[in-house]
Amino acid sequence: MTKVLVPTVCPYCGAGCGFCIAVEKERASGIEYMPDHPVSQGALCAKGNAALEILCHPERLVSPLKRRGEGWVSISWPEAMDLVARGLSQAKKKHGPRSLAFLSSSKCSNEDNYLMQKLARLLGSPHIDNCARLCHSPSVVGLNRTLGAAGMTNPIPDIASSRCIFIIGSNLAENHPVISRWIHRAKDRGAAVIVADPRATPTSWMADIFLQLKPGTDVALLNGMAHVIIKEGLINRDYIDRSTRGFEALAEAVKEATAERTAEITGVAAEDIVQAARAYAKSPASSILYSMGITQHSTGTDNVQAVSNLALICGQLGRPGTGVMPLRGQNNVQGACDMGALAEFYPGYKKAADPKTIQYFSAAWSVHDLPLGPGLTATEMIEAAAAGTIKAMYIMGEDPANSDPCSENVRQALESLDFLVVQDIFMTATAQLADVVLPGAVWAEKEGSFTNTERRVQWSHKAIEPPGAARSDGEIICDVARSMGLQFDYPHAASVLDEINRTVPQYAGITRERLDAGSIAWPCPTADHPGTPILHCSGFNLADGKASIVPVAFRPAAEAASSDYPFILTTGRVAVHHNAGSMTRRSPSLISREPDLYVEMNREDAAALDVQDGDEVKITTIRGETAAIARLGDRVKKGVVFMPFHFPGTNILTTEITDQEARIPEFKVCACNISRRD
Amino acid sequence: MAVYIDINRCIGCRSCEVACQRVHGGHGHINVHYVGDYAAVPVLCHHCQEAGCTKVCFSGALHKEGEVTAFDVEKCTGCGLCALACPFGVVWTDKLAHKCDLCQGREQGPACMATCPANALSDDFELAARRARERAARAAAVGGRR
Ligand code: SF4
Ligand code: SF4
Repeated sequence: MTKVLVPTVCPYCGAGCGFCIAVEKERASGIEYMPDHPVSQGALCAKGNAALEILCHPERLVSPLKRRGEGWVSISWPEAMDLVARGLSQAKKKHGPRSLAFLSSSKCSNEDNYLMQKLARLLGSPHIDNCARLCHSPSVVGLNRTLGAAGMTNPIPDIASSRCIFIIGSNLAENHPVISRWIHRAKDRGAAVIVADPRATPTSWMADIFLQLKPGTDVALLNGMAHVIIKEGLINRDYIDRSTRGFEALAEAVKEATAERTAEITGVAAEDIVQAARAYAKSPASSILYSMGITQHSTGTDNVQAVSNLALICGQLGRPGTGVMPLRGQNNVQGACDMGALAEFYPGYKKAADPKTIQYFSAAWSVHDLPLGPGLTATEMIEAAAAGTIKAMYIMGEDPANSDPCSENVRQALESLDFLVVQDIFMTATAQLADVVLPGAVWAEKEGSFTNTERRVQWSHKAIEPPGAARSDGEIICDVARSMGLQFDYPHAASVLDEINRTVPQYAGITRERLDAGSIAWPCPTADHPGTPILHCSGFNLADGKASIVPVAFRPAAEAASSDYPFILTTGRVAVHHNAGSMTRRSPSLISREPDLYVEMNREDAAALDVQDGDEVKITTIRGETAAIARLGDRVKKGVVFMPFHFPGTNILTTEITDQEARIPEFKVCACNISRRD
Repeated sequence: MAVYIDINRCIGCRSCEVACQRVHGGHGHINVHYVGDYAAVPVLCHHCQEAGCTKVCFSGALHKEGEVTAFDVEKCTGCGLCALACPFGVVWTDKLAHKCDLCQGREQGPACMATCPANALSDDFELAARRARERAARAAAVGGRR
């Protein structure tokens, strides 16, 4: 048997690195790097290198399962489809279509997501969402409002041409490691790097200016920088007049935000704030990269708007080396949003609350009675399940019982459902609560398009068959739809992309044939359009082509340290794990490198509690408690502790308080107490 | 030839470790060490000109082939002397010796070099120094970085 190399897109983060899977005798025998890949240039992080370890993992789900008492029995696909159809139909008949809720997956392809949201809406439910809610919903809301588009404005390789790179609330060196090579390239050409983060991280190792702010004070920092820029006359007046509205209101709003005042709130030295502001405003091309440290706050939307304000007043948009770059955490979180797996948007960001959208899709799908939105968001679905208004849920490739805040409540809410069907590759904490579990396929076992953080759409090919009776997620959704009496005739992923080309204007020219020749960045309106790597080069997709500067006032995080809970807990990711960890914790070469849940604390805090490095400690919040291993160091300042969220314990602690607009929970700030275990 | 490290670039992501393990059947030959919370250094065989490991290896398993410190697994007795002799602590023995073989037989060269997301590893001895010189020259030319 010969060896075949099948090109695929890495299933982990949103950087979208490519690699080939070597297939021998129908088995994946190894990875070959892809030196000509535009983003990764042959590189892969530890997770990418370990990706094949989950393919033939012994714990993979290989047959549909139904609950019997406390255990599970394997059932056939027809029986499973029958049960799912009955479960969903009963809820629909008894309580109406709005008692159904659907969670789609930012791990799945564009085609899978498109089908899932179509299924939800054809069944009459507006309640469709995906876990982008938990990572970048403030970017969707905030950037759509200020810039008229929610994606990263410039491609990753373009960072190399930046002369000042401002990284705020992103530990990209661990979470999107390949982006580091582009930052180093910019540094080689003389770029200055500013990093703002409550923790010293490998990302801050790259920094020329490191602003170690207190968790939850991002708006204050960004407003303070805007104040300095305006005061010192470093704004780009021309750009402001030509391309924006709302500057005067911002100038007024940040009048009091002097560097000294900002220093008091953020804990960052005033001269560092001034220096950072100058570096950002003065450089001929500055970019801002941000991530969950900006979005996962009760002020997430404000944070995003403050970021975009800074770029707008300096005119750092629409040219090579500039831009506002929300770095997406999962391989297809951008695509899942583009495909309309969101409560407030139909595909292509058509507003779910707009009757015109309903008209458009009624015509496109030849149906009537499409539900007007917005539907419930991922977090609201759980609340509604607890309150008894959502009766049945279909969850694909997500693990809210693990990844959502205050996970005990989530568990109870999901248990109270009349019917829960979970489609996944492993028996996750969420699947444990289901009535029926459907075995899906991983990236290598199906084909489809994925949209990375730069809006770059790439086709990932199928390398091997799914294990046992597992099937591709698209096929399963089509089967569920058919068993509910809907017309879902899609013989393969390409036929779904065909429909996406017709219904999603941004993807109109991104056809299956073109993706064979290479990746394309949306918007790509026609079959001969080259795609749009850099957004906003000639104005904005808003009234008069002008961007909006939206002043925001600093509001403290929802929880503050108190005498009972004297520490601020912030959460995040580490290099060798991914999200809820259902894949990486099962990957031997990754879990062996970071086997335990740990809590990072400052040496002085630890000394006061008589805690040594490696001791087991108890972390308590008003919501619950968790044990973790103490890791001491200088990474966090006194009063702040950090925990990775890849292990089940962390989200027992986090708060379910959300951003009022984007409904993202405040994973990045909550008050906790720490004590020795004995 | 050896794989050289640009410590300015390493982000401690451990991708090189996982890649090395992957292409060597589970035995990695590169290890990332952390210097406090401030830097990371991958440690691997230097392919020394005067290689201590080859000097003590009485069976001839470890030997010089040009610039490379090569290993002939057939001859290795697993005695462990090389692990004691290597001044850098980058040979391990568990029944047999293990150390960087520069991914012999891998057409595209060492896997760690290809996979390093930060471009911290290269077989160009001069590269790290050249980068540092260029940075310094540029800083001097513009009167400091900012
Ligand atoms: S892969 Fe590169 S950046 Fe990552 S630890 Fe190894 S040498 Fe350092
Ligand atoms: S194993 Fe140690 S002594 Fe031998 S060549 Fe490598 S670094 Fe030198």
